[in-house]
Amino acid sequence: MSAVTLGLIATFAPLAAALLLWALVPLRHRGAPAAWVTLLGSVIALAASVKLVIDRLGGAPDVRTTIPWIEERGRAMAELGVQLDGVSVPMLVIVCLVALCVQLFSVAYMHDEPPRAFGRYFTLHALFLFSMNVVVVSPNLLQLFAGWELVGLTSYLLIGFYFAKPSAAQAAVKAFWMTKLADMGFLFGLLVLYVNTGGFEWTAVPGTAIATWVTALLFLAVVGKSAQFPLHIWLPDAMEGPTPVSALLHAATMVAAGVFLVVRADPLFAQAPATREVMLWIGASTAVFAAGLALVQKDIKKVLAFSTCSQLGYMVAALGAGQAFAGFFHLGTHAFFKALLFLAAGSVIHAVHSNSLDDMGGLRKKLPLTTAAFVIGALSLAGVPGFAGFFSKDLVLGALEGKASWVPWAMLMGSAFLTAFYMGRVVIKAFWGAESEKAAHAHEGGLAMTGPLVALALPSLGAGFLGGWLATQVRAEYHLHLGLTPIAASAMALLGIGAAIMVFGKGGQAPLVGTLEKLDAFSLVDKTWAGAYRIGLLGVSSLAGWIDRYLIDGLMNFTGWAALEGGASARKLQTGLVRDYAMLVVVGVLVLVLIGVLR
Amino acid sequence: MTLASCLILSAAVLCVGIYGLLTRKQAVAMLLSIELMANSANMVFASYGHFRGGPSAQVFVLFALAITVAEVAVGLALVMLLYRRHGDTALDLASEARQ
Repeated sequence: MSAVTLGLIATFAPLAAALLLWALVPLRHRGAPAAWVTLLGSVIALAASVKLVIDRLGGAPDVRTTIPWIEERGRAMAELGVQLDGVSVPMLVIVCLVALCVQLFSVAYMHDEPPRAFGRYFTLHALFLFSMNVVVVSPNLLQLFAGWELVGLTSYLLIGFYFAKPSAAQAAVKAFWMTKLADMGFLFGLLVLYVNTGGFEWTAVPGTAIATWVTALLFLAVVGKSAQFPLHIWLPDAMEGPTPVSALLHAATMVAAGVFLVVRADPLFAQAPATREVMLWIGASTAVFAAGLALVQKDIKKVLAFSTCSQLGYMVAALGAGQAFAGFFHLGTHAFFKALLFLAAGSVIHAVHSNSLDDMGGLRKKLPLTTAAFVIGALSLAGVPGFAGFFSKDLVLGALEGKASWVPWAMLMGSAFLTAFYMGRVVIKAFWGAESEKAAHAHEGGLAMTGPLVALALPSLGAGFLGGWLATQVRAEYHLHLGLTPIAASAMALLGIGAAIMVFGKGGQAPLVGTLEKLDAFSLVDKTWAGAYRIGLLGVSSLAGWIDRYLIDGLMNFTGWAALEGGASARKLQTGLVRDYAMLVVVGVLVLVLIGVLR
Repeated sequence: MTLASCLILSAAVLCVGIYGLLTRKQAVAMLLSIELMANSANMVFASYGHFRGGPSAQVFVLFALAITVAEVAVGLALVMLLYRRHGDTALDLASEARQ
């Protein structure tokens, strides 16, 4: 099969599953069969993308096939198609593999749901995988935008999966609005690009000024989708969704779409050093800020959510430093270990029926496999040498070496320490220490739960060694060097873990925790946005409402009133008697005759 | 008989029709008056046809008569409706359109 066919299969197999489930209502309402349909779609997609990788290992070239869309006088406004190269093929495998693991895990995790909800859940999962693959195989920015909005929609629907719960419904709406606000940037960026280059290609060369505008607008969308400061506030709330959803959408794939976009549009971003400078700083500050907040969360999923913000900050900073490959590599390894962490957290939540770290403790004896998986994920996230996260984080930090007088580098080093520290805290609080009341009856889930954990633990351990291959795929330079950055990064990771054991091992509290907790409780960014919403959006809306109600409607009503009143006064001229009209006709004729005679 | 006397006759018929239209209250009488007016016009046609030559004027008169008959048929139907509604054919009763 040709590469294009395989790419289309990988994209459309999940769509076929989603459409089948959408159309065949009884099948969806049965629950379990719906899961099988979705899983089958994902297996086909994964098989197609693995075949693509094997072909590439055998030396298959990059492929780009498009068909014209909206033709006008022989010229297409845009193109649709697939582009399968060193960026999209590895990403396809990552997305399909993580999605399949998460879906399999969901079969066990969601089995208490009523069949209808179960079927809806898997329909949305199939739709999500299709949308994400549309993003990944896009040959230009317009198609990427379409997929981008589709993943936004499925994200909204899945966050609000428990829509009867007010907090979940609110979280869904919040995520939707925040990302839509950011997506305006994407839309306007596309418009600016189209007006200036006549196309939606990321290879366009529009000149520095235009490129800066376009990339700045695109970056706004990235800030929203990849939960960067100050638009990150939707991501912690998104944890209202089912845990496997958090693993797939809000850790591994969808939030990484922003990073993927920048990697894709790297030729454009390369023409805009000013945008890159902003990205560098926003990424670095998000990394530190979110890592600080992750330290004080009591909900295990929120720790992981803030950690996702922080790691996405790493990626954005690397992209800002002009090292797209570093960001992309970290995206790949992060997808594996963060999905693993979320699924392990899901396994814990499933066992103790609570999200709160206070309800956990001493779980390592009850849940040995989950503990092992979580620890592997945590070590990988912390960047302990040998684990996947180490290689990519090292590359990110190396990319920042010497940039902007070392400040972002130092910030990321600091958050590397914090990362190890807060992950140590979670591991110790959940799996070590005294056994809590709820932990007493905990037990491992079935094979559908443990299988995906093992499947994701392996790449979390070993994906780092694929860096060299990935680099050849995207034609980037990659060589491990023993310099300042790897040594400092490893030291930070080990120091963080050591500090966590020292502090939390004895049940203590970290220094500055009180301040951070207050900061978290006050949630300044959240309140700023809420205020902006109230003053800005509601203010403008009520002004517009007033104008509509009193000025525009007033004009309309006045026109109607004037016509009615004018008609009422004109009515008095009419008698309704035929002889009066006859008289008028006769008089009129006489007048005409007179005029005719006198002339 | 001259053209002038014929025209004077038709003018007299027209005036009778106008007088009837303005003074009568019964719808049927008013319709009759309108007929008089219409036929005075036909008389002008016919007179000119007779004195200035050509058969075309007579053809026009025949057409006009046919149209007048149709008009009267519509008018009488309206009178019927008026009678059914008010039990009388006095046209002053039909002034609802004013409201």
